[in-house]
Amino acid sequence: MRFMILVKATKDSEAGILPDEQLLAEMGNYNEELVKAGAMLAGEGLQPSSKGARIRYAGTKRTVIDGPFAETKELVAGFWLIQVKSRDEAIEWLKRAPFKEGEVEIRQVFEAEDFGPAFTSELREQEERLRAQIAAKH
Amino acid sequence: MRFMMLMIPKGYEQAAPGTMPDAKAVAAMMKYNESLQKAGVLLALDGLHPPSMGARVSFSGGKPKVTDGPFAEAKEVLGGYWMIQVKSKEEAIQWASRCPGSDNEVIEIRQVQEFTDFPPDVQEAAAKFPEMQAKSGQR
Repeated sequence: MRFMILVKATKDSEAGILPDEQLLAEMGNYNEELVKAGAMLAGEGLQPSSKGARIRYAGTKRTVIDGPFAETKELVAGFWLIQVKSRDEAIEWLKRAPFKEGEVEIRQVFEAEDFGPAFTSELREQEERLRAQIAAKH
Repeated sequence: MRFMMLMIPKGYEQAAPGTMPDAKAVAAMMKYNESLQKAGVLLALDGLHPPSMGARVSFSGGKPKVTDGPFAEAKEVLGGYWMIQVKSKEEAIQWASRCPGSDNEVIEIRQVQEFTDFPPDVQEAAAKFPEMQAKSGQR
């Protein structure tokens, strides 16, 4: 099972304050453990929402809203994508993350088989082709 | 530049466990995904099960505390994401504008932190990061 771990924004991350050397070193070791265990698929940090934008949809109309966005606690500051055997294993991994404050959210990723018959063989083929082409690019 | 397009579907914060997207909406979205792919901008994409099937771990005082979903106080949650490689924020906005989004949906565009964005001391502390990313990779 794949899980996405959403690291929630804090006042500091939104202000563009980078983590100190100690936290970076601890995070480096934690990431290394994830890699060694074969659990790490991807991980990235995001620039503050002040450099971002939102697009709102209403019929064919699109409204662009420039950041920053007010609800700091709802914003994402970074993420991991991990591959584990269960939700409990994902939670155990995150309990060991070297955070001193803040919050992460653990969310299971949809796999093609989750969709059942609605995901027709035609759509499935298209999805597989997309993923193969993405993988070939990396 | 890499940008993450975060899909925020209003109401998904209250979706029941096992909620599935509508097949018609998925078909329209797949066409859009294919256009991103054909243009060579698509790096990764995924959909997420509802938060009612998820959990949060908070770290007040460095002590992990687990809360099972759904999260009562959540006003908005993530439904999925795309990772794209484009030349500018404007190009990212143009791509997001072409998404067949419905009235309850918002896409948030956020630039990904690249190693070279960091000052020298941070780069030094995170020296293992590029190698780590190369070793992980999507499977």
